[in-house]
Amino acid sequence: MRLINNLICLARSVITFLRLKPHAETELPKNPKRPKKKKVFVKPVSTKKQANVDHITGDKIPRSFVFSRCKLPGPLRQLQADLRKLMLPYTALKLKEKRRNNLRDFLNVAGPMGVTHFLMLSKTPTAPYLRVARTPQGPTLTFKIQEYSLAVDIARSQKRPRCPADLFKNAPLIVLSGFGTGEQHLKLTTILFQNIFPAIDVNTVKLSSCQRIVLLNYNKDTKLIDFRHYSIRLQPVGVSQRLRRFVQNHQVPDLRNLQDVSDFVTKAGYGSESEADDEAATVTLANDLGRVNRASSKSAVKLQEIGPRMTLQLMKIEEGLCTGGVIFSEYGTLILSCRTFLVLLTVCSMTS
Amino acid sequence: MAEEIHLPEAATEPRKRKIGKKKGSKAKKKAKMLHSSEEIRAMKPKKFNNKMKKLFLKRAKDYNSESEEESKQEDVKPKPLGNNEEEPIGGAASSSGEESEEGGGGGGRNRGDGVSDDEEHGEILPGIMKFSEGCNAFRLAFKSIIKKSVSLNAVGPVMSAHKKLVAEKLAEEQTERKAKGEAKKEKHTVIEKGHVMPANYLDTHEKFLIGVATKGVVKLFNAVNKAQNAQKGLNPSKFKDAKVIKKRRKEAFFSELGKTSSKAHASKGAVDGEGPAWAPLRDNYMLTNPKLKDWDKKQDSIVEDDIGRVAGDSSDDD
Repeated sequence: MRLINNLICLARSVITFLRLKPHAETELPKNPKRPKKKKVFVKPVSTKKQANVDHITGDKIPRSFVFSRCKLPGPLRQLQADLRKLMLPYTALKLKEKRRNNLRDFLNVAGPMGVTHFLMLSKTPTAPYLRVARTPQGPTLTFKIQEYSLAVDIARSQKRPRCPADLFKNAPLIVLSGFGTGEQHLKLTTILFQNIFPAIDVNTVKLSSCQRIVLLNYNKDTKLIDFRHYSIRLQPVGVSQRLRRFVQNHQVPDLRNLQDVSDFVTKAGYGSESEADDEAATVTLANDLGRVNRASSKSAVKLQEIGPRMTLQLMKIEEGLCTGGVIFSEYGTLILSCRTFLVLLTVCSMTS
Repeated sequence: MAEEIHLPEAATEPRKRKIGKKKGSKAKKKAKMLHSSEEIRAMKPKKFNNKMKKLFLKRAKDYNSESEEESKQEDVKPKPLGNNEEEPIGGAASSSGEESEEGGGGGGRNRGDGVSDDEEHGEILPGIMKFSEGCNAFRLAFKSIIKKSVSLNAVGPVMSAHKKLVAEKLAEEQTERKAKGEAKKEKHTVIEKGHVMPANYLDTHEKFLIGVATKGVVKLFNAVNKAQNAQKGLNPSKFKDAKVIKKRRKEAFFSELGKTSSKAHASKGAVDGEGPAWAPLRDNYMLTNPKLKDWDKKQDSIVEDDIGRVAGDSSDDD
């Protein structure tokens, strides 16, 4: 019996040896025909750390997390994805969240990563809600989303949706309009949203990095905030569409219907003349932008809507991060001492 | 003790009987060989009942499970029956009898044999009709069925007595489906709450918003142009130029500092009056400007003083 056992052991060892051998071979890259053993891909920890500070202006860059506070239905999840895209590049585009993650988890992560703002989506039977908060302890603004449209819907509604490759490589500009009514909660909102995107230094900013704009328009009568997201496009003024296309696309134009080459230049295209160039929407550029827009010439600013569209209603402002005293409430309870308000203002506008 | 002895016997007896039954089947064959009509009479009703019971059960199951299969069966059945109707003119009694019983199942052969045996004897068993009579009655019944005009869009099996039941079942299903659909729709509306499809065209409101945004962009670009044109031709990487730029910025900064206080007042006045409330329309809308940051800080410093004082008071109270 013992002999047999020994034999079996020996056979096993031989088999294991035989098994091992091909493994050793596969590790060599000599024979490419044999399928390589799949190694578990471990993503290397990125050594290139994103600087927390803008390398030109020296300001601290605000970062954000967009996440949900409950299980969202399909369209709202899409809205969350759109919002993340909107907040690019200083946001976690692929932030994974689990049901058991609570606010503290996000807060714990936010500290070391330099995340300064939270955008939280949640849903109640009446309406979806968006909460915008300053992270460590800052105020929380709760908005009721009255209406929203996704980026997909807007792209579908347009004839030629526009999405250049480098659209989301830079932070958007932000325009706040109609907030100057002097009310305190509006002031707080203004300052919070102004500091949600990195500040622009007029002296050093490159115009090519200004590709998108986020507009928040407060309507005094309805007390609703229109949230829009546009892409900025510049077109030279006074050049026919044909020529512009020709220069832009570098394609041989279709001259079949023309008698002479000069017609191509002199004859006006359809669109260029009908689109009355607004004097207000023209700018002279500081430096060249792309192939078409030259520094000396005038360019028209054209905006095309991208990204999500929301109609928000400010419901309440809380002192803490989703906790603390209610400073402002839609339902009239305004418990606001001047002191707390001003503290909050400073907290919101803090960049360090 | 006597009982104990008896019990095992009783237990063993059925076994013996079973064995006997098996043997009995052999004996049955023997009996058939003998053509004893009495035995058949004794066996027949029992066997018939079992088989028919099974058949009926099976049919009932089929019927309950699916109505389609039933209809198929209905389609299939008339064919051999129709053949039967034609056959009796010259057909042999035994063959037709077998055919009619083919539907009955595999066990029909035995019975068929029995029937043929009976007919040979000229005796008619109760429950089994003579072929000529049965044929006539069956023909009449079948004819009446065939004559029946059935609407093409009849629901469920044609010959079923439970036509109403099927219709009811279908109606119930439909109502169920309807309820389900409504529930789904309701859920969908809850999910899609607030989700609005944008219009294909730009309405006035959207145009207005685009206009506001455009104004903001123009303002920024002009500011950038103004700021960057001033330092044109100066390379910030060169030490000399960098110095010049710094100096200029400083000057601009201080000049704007002087302006701001008056400007702030002006803007406040504008807000009170007809002045445009939009931030981009105001000159100081770019809060990212160094001057405006400073303007904020100025206020903040006052505020902070206030806070400090208040905090001190509170500590005193404590």
